[in-house]
Parts: sequence; structure tokens; C-alpha cells
Amino acid sequence: MPREPDEPERRTTDNPPPQTWMGLLDYVTAHAVDEDYAHVSRKDSSDSSGGPGPARPGVAALIILGLFGLLAATAAVQTSRNAVAAESGREGLVTQIQSRSAKVDAVRERIVDVRKEVERLETQYLDATAEGRAVSGRLDRLGTNTGSLAATGPGVKIVVDDAPNATSSQQEVLDQDLQKLVNALWESGAEAISINGQRLTNLSAIRQAGSAITVNYRSLARPYVVSAIGDPNSIPARFVETEHGGEWLDLKATFGLQFDLTMEDSLSLPAATRLDLRFATSTEDSR
Amino acid sequence: MIAGLGLLVGITLGLLLQPDVPLWLEPYLPIAVVAALDAVFGALRAFLDGMFDDRVFVVSFLSNVLIAALIVYLGDKLGVGGQLSTGVIVVLGIRIFANVAAIRRHLLHA
Repeated sequence: MPREPDEPERRTTDNPPPQTWMGLLDYVTAHAVDEDYAHVSRKDSSDSSGGPGPARPGVAALIILGLFGLLAATAAVQTSRNAVAAESGREGLVTQIQSRSAKVDAVRERIVDVRKEVERLETQYLDATAEGRAVSGRLDRLGTNTGSLAATGPGVKIVVDDAPNATSSQQEVLDQDLQKLVNALWESGAEAISINGQRLTNLSAIRQAGSAITVNYRSLARPYVVSAIGDPNSIPARFVETEHGGEWLDLKATFGLQFDLTMEDSLSLPAATRLDLRFATSTEDSR
Repeated sequence: MIAGLGLLVGITLGLLLQPDVPLWLEPYLPIAVVAALDAVFGALRAFLDGMFDDRVFVVSFLSNVLIAALIVYLGDKLGVGGQLSTGVIVVLGIRIFANVAAIRRHLLHA
């Protein structure tokens, strides 16, 4: 019968204690039973040599085992109780989230309503006085300038697209190509520009996001229609003379990008969707 | 036989009474159960080895539970409660497995 090596005996010899030469895990495994049992049984057998055999479990063991059962049952009951509490807590959070997000939606709608109301009152108030009318005109001008108001007027419309059967990225319209196009248009006297219905403002960015070009953080789909309000007679000539305009003609000639400029008697550009300044404030009283 | 009876009575009492555990004691309950389990299996193995002793069992059980709870308490105070619990459970787990293996060998006479 395989037996564990009798460690306590080894201790009595001159050998160093087992934990010094055994690995920690080996030691823990070999000494899984409290050494006190061996100690007491050896003392018993030496006290009354060959005396009574091993003691049967008595009342003390009974009580301790009862205690153990109580402990285990209590722990199990407590854990299941906690699980129920955690579950109900989670459900409470979910309902809270739902009710709060409904509240947010309601508040958001109210914001839109109030903003409309403010605009209405503003125009009403401004229209009431001569000074107000002047300010109102100034507001209109500024709004058209910055893109917060829709604008109409004569101008040019440029439709650009990838080369037919484009294989490399050089044959596609990239964000930098659109940037160059827009810069060239500003340079040649455009007063308001929109790309695929996205009005360019002082906060607009034209950039590549994945495979799409975004303007005002909205993805655009090909082809790109760039509408610019300005003098339709002078813009095309000045456009060709700008640095970026020349580059675009090169792109058209070299890579076959599509570029189609038409003059329009009347263009209408939409207002930019949002122009909220949250940090910037005016350093002088604009009125 | 009498030991099994004690265990049964304890479990029944726990399930029937469902005592409320104070909140501060709650984290120490599971680790105390593991420590108690170690003491119980150690006692069973000692019994099968023929060297069981009531006194040793009582002392080893109580000290096991107390020390395990104490270690976790200390760990909580030092901010390493989780790691210390893991350490305690690993060591006790190894002991439990070793004891159960020895008990199995006894019972199956293998």
C-alpha cells in the first residue's frame, strides 16, 4: 500500500526541516493533514503502549461538524440571496436608463422648440425698431457669410468624380483633392460654397473617414457636386489661374478624374446644420 | 455515522433558520467555508489513517476558519484582499485535493 513518506520522523533526525528542501507545492501536498493528528497519536501510543485504538469521533466532533454544515448552508443561502438582490438591482438600473433616456429625448425636443421660439422673438423684436432692423440686416449678412443662413445667387457648379474604371487611389477623388478645389474656389472669388448640400462654414472640415469623404462630419457619396456662389463670369477664368485650380486641370489630364464646370444663374445653398460655439466668445461688443 | 448526523443537522438548521449574516462578516464566509472544508477532509483522512483525535479536530477546525478569515481581513485592510483570498484558496484547495486523494485510496484500497 503506497504511503506518504513519514515526514514527522524525518524531523527528529539531523536532516533540515522538510520545507527547506521540498518545493512549496510538494510540501503543501505532503503535509495536507494537520501534523497534530500524527503528533497526538504518537504521544498516545507512547503513553499507553498499544493502548486504546484511535478515538471515535465524539460529541465535540459532532458539534464542529454541525457548525460546518451551518456555515456552508448559511454561505449558500447568503450567496443566492445576494444574487437575487444583484439581479433586481440590474433591472432597476435598466428601467432607470430607459426612463432617463426618454426624458433626454423630451428635453431635446423642447430645445428645438425653444430655439425656434427664440428666433421668432428675435426677429420680432429686431423688426420693431429702426436700429433693430439694421442689426437684423447685419445678422443676415453675417449669417450668409458664416453659413448659418441659406444663401442664393448666381455662381458655378462643379461636378467632380473618380476616373471611369478607377483602379488606383490616384484615379479617385480624395479629401485633399476636394480641399484644393474648394481653396481654389475661395481664391477665385466664391462667396459661399456647399458640397453635396453640406454648406461650408468656418468650422467645416473636409476629410477622409475610411473610404468616404466627410464634410461637416457627414459622409458624402460620389459624385461630388460643389456649388459656389460668386460672379459666374469671372470665377472660371480666375479658377484656372490659381495654383490649386491648375493642379486640378493636371489631375483631369493625367489621371482622368471627371471635372465638369457649369455656370448657373441661380444657385441656392442650404444653411449649415449646426454652428454652436461652446468656448469661443467675442472680445468686443459686436453691437 | 454520528458525524454524518451532525453534518445533516447543521445543514438543516442553516436552511431552516436562514440566519442573517452581518454585512461586515459577509466577505469572510466563503473563505471560512473553504477552510472548514479543509479541516473536515483532513479529519476524515486522519480518521481513516487511524489517528483521529477530537481535540485536534476542534482546534484545527476553529483555527483554520479563524486564520482564513483573518488573512482575508488583513488583505482587505492592505488592499490586496482579492489576491490573498486567491492564495488561501489555492493552498487550501491543494490540501483538500491531496486529502481527498488519500481518502479515495483508503476507501478503494487501491
